[in-house]
Amino acid sequence: MVLKEKLVMDRFAEVVKNRHDYAREWKQRTGGRVMGYFCTYMPEEILIAAGMMPVRILGSHEPQDVTERHIYSMFCPFCRDCLAQGLKGRFEYLDGIGMAHTCLHIRQAYSSWVLHVPTKQNFSYYISMPAKPQSPRARPFLIKELEAFKKAVEEWIGRPVTNKDLDKGIEVMNTNRRLMRQIYELRKADKPLVTGTECMQMVCASQCMDKEEHNKLLAEFIKNELPKRTGRDAGTRLMIIGSEDDDTEFLAMAESLGATVVADDHCTGSRYFWNEAPKSEDRIAAIADRYIAKVPCPEKDWEERRRWTHISKLVDEYKVQGALMIQQKFCDPHEFDIPPLMKMLKEKKNVPSLFLEFDVTVPVGQFRTRVEAFLETMQLEM
Amino acid sequence: MVEEKKEYWRWTEGLYLNKDIDWRKAKSITLGVDIGSVSTQAVVLTDGKIYCFASIRTGSDSPDSARKAVESALKQTDLKQENIHYTVGTGYGRVNIPFANKTVTEIACHARGANYMGGPTIRTILDMGGQDCKAIQCDERGKVVQFLMNDKCAAGTGRGMEVIANLMAVPITDIGRLSFEIDKEPPPVSSTCVVFAKTEAIGLMREGWTKNQVLAAYCSAMAHRVVTLLQRVGVNKDFTITGGIAKNIGVTRRILNELKVDMVQLQPDPQIAGGVGASLFAADLLEKQRKAAG
Repeated sequence: MVLKEKLVMDRFAEVVKNRHDYAREWKQRTGGRVMGYFCTYMPEEILIAAGMMPVRILGSHEPQDVTERHIYSMFCPFCRDCLAQGLKGRFEYLDGIGMAHTCLHIRQAYSSWVLHVPTKQNFSYYISMPAKPQSPRARPFLIKELEAFKKAVEEWIGRPVTNKDLDKGIEVMNTNRRLMRQIYELRKADKPLVTGTECMQMVCASQCMDKEEHNKLLAEFIKNELPKRTGRDAGTRLMIIGSEDDDTEFLAMAESLGATVVADDHCTGSRYFWNEAPKSEDRIAAIADRYIAKVPCPEKDWEERRRWTHISKLVDEYKVQGALMIQQKFCDPHEFDIPPLMKMLKEKKNVPSLFLEFDVTVPVGQFRTRVEAFLETMQLEM
Repeated sequence: MVEEKKEYWRWTEGLYLNKDIDWRKAKSITLGVDIGSVSTQAVVLTDGKIYCFASIRTGSDSPDSARKAVESALKQTDLKQENIHYTVGTGYGRVNIPFANKTVTEIACHARGANYMGGPTIRTILDMGGQDCKAIQCDERGKVVQFLMNDKCAAGTGRGMEVIANLMAVPITDIGRLSFEIDKEPPPVSSTCVVFAKTEAIGLMREGWTKNQVLAAYCSAMAHRVVTLLQRVGVNKDFTITGGIAKNIGVTRRILNELKVDMVQLQPDPQIAGGVGASLFAADLLEKQRKAAG
């Protein structure tokens, strides 16, 4: 891939589009292992410490007919789309596959993958991430889980993962988080210097490329390209909230209608990178702390709704005027949260929201009408 | 024997001209074009009053349908398209109207049009379109407060009703009336799915149901489907229905019965609400444009 002459944002888009070529080239270039993972509770710090490149399994938004035998069709389209990528052989370069538990749907995709999609080195690992991180017992439990995971990784690569390695893993991940936060700051401006589509592209790129390279590109973007940007009229300031969503095409459509997505609560957005791992002598405990304290997926946000506090804060800080509630069809944890969340946004923040149910592909015409009509309720002068 | 191929789905296309209006005296002549998936309307307002309109079937080509609707509306008068000051496009095909100055969604336009035709007391509008349904709440100006759209499926919509008309070999304009010519209201069919309609209808006929009973069961299932949508958005008085199905009493009466509300019947034609709304938005935009130009 000849990427050097291109603008950073175009490079991110290209990596996302050609993520498999990128990963194959990375392997060839570095001789390193590539580990695929589902959902964003996988402690990538440990994988980077072990010299690997973690890549998140995402779908392709193409209709498919290969998962019917493995996953019920009333499981979410995202988990089916992910598994389809494996069954179609698109991730054939993976050396191992893993997940830290989030929901049953994605676990089914993971389990089917382990059964039916061979990885190069036949390594698979399931971390039992606690379903209730708010419990005081979650932290000690996760520490033990992560210690066991680290041990399994050490056995796999045939060498110990030292504290120095872990420091590097933590530093690479934290740098990425810091840089992404820095870029998200720009969205607070009246004339944001980056769009929501670009931000989603950046985060998706981060999930499927070498983090150190991603960090370098982010730094280059901040240093060389941001100063040349003038920003755009935000129009209506929108926030997107909900299930896994990497549909940049939909987002670009929404942003073409006189609106800018200035904030998000998605695992392909702020939920992925918002908090850092703290400094601690016990590196594994520091990593566990990070995943316990992370902005939770609604599957893990119980009984206190900590994600809502995060969302409220973003609404205030980014001056959000309207919210698009994105729900992957059949994603029960989000479906459970969305009605009271919409109510809370309306009553406490005076922010109206539009509910949209996503599938592998979305009916663009219909969705355009809905988003446009929603924006008209805020924009049309009568 | 060659059987005559009847088009039972064919609904009455509409034409209207207010002969009392002299368009030459009008300061503002605006056009609203609503291209839906099944029907297209062109509505001309002169100084905010309905001057003429046409409601025709949408063809396979949106720009062509828009042109035909405008031609039909203007054929009744010597007003020419170049005399029109501002045009707003709406409906599914709104982005494909070459002569539109601006587009506004059909959701905003139906609310505005219903407010104009039904008065400022209208708060809830059910737009039963060709391929989707929208439950809309608006304020006293006809501005949308919130709305819900049915999902990705033509069940309980105009197109669904057309399929049933063909299937049962009953002219679509007779369905409403016939659906009440029964002894006892049958239970609604279990599926309003356009694809499964045939199987279910044949099954019911085989069980000895009369044609009218089957029609009643379909109308009732369609009504129930949109009632659920309406209940989610909330039904505040006054209530009205726009779109082609507003003319089908088999569905509308059953909706009213289930919701226990009355509806305001829109005159002259509930199917033109989107076009009227678009034309009203055109009038606003024209005024704004003229003000800006001094």
